[in-house]
Amino acid sequence: MKLNTKDLLSAALLISLAAAGLWLNMDHTLGTARRMGPGYMPALSFGLLLFLGIGVLLLGLFNGPDPIKMWTPAEWGFLFAGAVIGTTAGMMAGGMSGWIGQGWNPLGIGLFVGCMVASVVKSWRPLFLITAAFCLFGLVLETLGLMASITLAVVLSAFADETHHPKGVVGLVIFLCALCWAVFIWELDIRVPVWPVF
Amino acid sequence: MDLFANLAHGFSVALTLNNLMFCLIGCLIGTAIGVLPGIGPVATISLLLPITFGQPATTAIIMLAGIYYGAQYGGSTTAILLNLPGEVSSVVTTLEGYKMARNGRAGAALTVAALGSFFAGTVSTLVVAASGPLLTSVALSFGPADYFSLMFLGLVISAVLAQGSVVKSIGMVTLGVSLGMVGTDVQTGQQRFTFGIPELSDGVGFASMAMGMFGIAEIISNLERPEARSVMSGKIGKLMMTREEFKRATPAVLRGTLVGTMLGILPGGGAALSSFGSYMMERKVSKGRHEFGTGAIEGVAGPESANNAASQTSFIPLLTLGIPANAVMALMVGALIIQGIQPGPRMVEAQPDLFWGLIASMWVGNLMLLVINLPMIGMWVKLLAVPYRYMYPSIMIFCAIGIYSLQNNVFDVYQTALFGVFGYMASKLRLEAAPMLIGFVLGPMMEEHLRRAMLLSRGDAMVFFERPISATMLGIAAIALIAMLLPALRKGKDSALQEGG
Repeated sequence: MKLNTKDLLSAALLISLAAAGLWLNMDHTLGTARRMGPGYMPALSFGLLLFLGIGVLLLGLFNGPDPIKMWTPAEWGFLFAGAVIGTTAGMMAGGMSGWIGQGWNPLGIGLFVGCMVASVVKSWRPLFLITAAFCLFGLVLETLGLMASITLAVVLSAFADETHHPKGVVGLVIFLCALCWAVFIWELDIRVPVWPVF
Repeated sequence: MDLFANLAHGFSVALTLNNLMFCLIGCLIGTAIGVLPGIGPVATISLLLPITFGQPATTAIIMLAGIYYGAQYGGSTTAILLNLPGEVSSVVTTLEGYKMARNGRAGAALTVAALGSFFAGTVSTLVVAASGPLLTSVALSFGPADYFSLMFLGLVISAVLAQGSVVKSIGMVTLGVSLGMVGTDVQTGQQRFTFGIPELSDGVGFASMAMGMFGIAEIISNLERPEARSVMSGKIGKLMMTREEFKRATPAVLRGTLVGTMLGILPGGGAALSSFGSYMMERKVSKGRHEFGTGAIEGVAGPESANNAASQTSFIPLLTLGIPANAVMALMVGALIIQGIQPGPRMVEAQPDLFWGLIASMWVGNLMLLVINLPMIGMWVKLLAVPYRYMYPSIMIFCAIGIYSLQNNVFDVYQTALFGVFGYMASKLRLEAAPMLIGFVLGPMMEEHLRRAMLLSRGDAMVFFERPISATMLGIAAIALIAMLLPALRKGKDSALQEGG
């Protein structure tokens, strides 16, 4: 047997998504072929997905080897820690009153905290610092305004690439603030606060 | 002639100042991203979707189309000068084009690429104009069963032609279709898979998915790879071709145009496939075939014409049937739907401005690109001096503001971030994102047509095999699937796509 790790993981992903979809679809009436209910097409598509996932699994047992780089213990650990701490932070934020618990802020806080924890490990930084910076932008946009959000997100994302110099980052922030103001505020006039609102 | 009256109308739309300006902007952006490796048309178009919403639908589509075919022009520049394909469709151009540059004929290679592309663009624009109304009248006789089968065929072919394992690609298509089921059921109003989140009742955000899987995931993958960019060393040389080069290039351009025009219409086809197809053809039939590998001009002229022709004709299924042939066209469907236009056979009559204006603007855009590319080539090459560390935060910020401005809702920002992580994971596992996007766009349409077809046939599934059009589509889909399961053919496709991108 030549195991194809990439295919096996893909199969696991497809099968679990299909299983989750089929399970959630139990709430919807199937209907008949003539009068299809809301659950009919999802049952078909998730069912096919399950079938294909199993197909990928079976093929993956033989068409390898295609190994995937193993994660180091640190990578595993901080990924796990990020997931746990992020979820907890999100849940706690959801229970709080005021700005922290408002709207989608708990989701943003959870994602941001989780990604920040995981990006302690250097090899996770491209993935999780970019995601964290993206979430940070969403988190502060409506309160601190566009300029502050751009600054924070760009500075945070700059840590994902070691070749950055402080001077270059400052220049980039100024350039992007000016460009985004010109394109989105002056030209397109989108409704977003530019400066902090309290 | 009706065609000329319609084209005249198209030019009157395309030549308004506003449309002309956005066509130029689209072509400039397209050339820029074509030159720059690491950002492709799919990511750029999804990035710029929100910016186009303030504009009328015609203007928006003209600009987005300009980005797509502009990228095909720009991609050839760096392929020839630096052996660095800016787009997948120019991978084969590096094979002969870079050799020509090293022989001191870079100028001639660039000229033939631009002129060939322009010629191909002109011909294929005419093909779109002529076949559009024709196909539309055929499409109007399609019943729901035929539509369902046609979409099914489109999905199968887009999966079969995707890189790597066919089963995995079909899996991704199916996942896309399944994700398309999220949201309010059109017929009963029931909420499906929304977890009580009001933002999901309109479905998973199309722009979020495209930006996340093509924009954010790309950034992350690029950051993991160390940067490898060479600075241009050689001189461009004279732009003029010699008489002999011209003589050799002409038939190659003609053949490339033909190949590209045909392959572009194919679902799942498009620029990358046709430039490779044309290269293979030139290597077999052209007069200069013995020179291949040492800088044969046919190897530049053919593929460059083909990819530009294909990028125009891949609009045909979209404009006549409302079915996207590739991921870029799926984005166009998304753009049209957000603008309130349902793409489909009725578009020619209901939206003549859009249909004919777009076609005319394609030709105008090709003309612009000729000017943008040839005399100004040095400027575009300088663009490569911008390091990636300045590009990725800019792409990220544009994504973030753009996605927020769609509905003024931060939920979309978080949704995009999640799709970014998912897209990164998928690319690590070699699960293709493009088939998923096409499946996502076609999924809800397929459900609607399936329901309607079954209602009309009183629950008899045989309707799909009894209607001749539908049966033909399903037959072709079955042949395509079986063909790809044959090991010999699959190997051929894999090696073809590996070279051709």
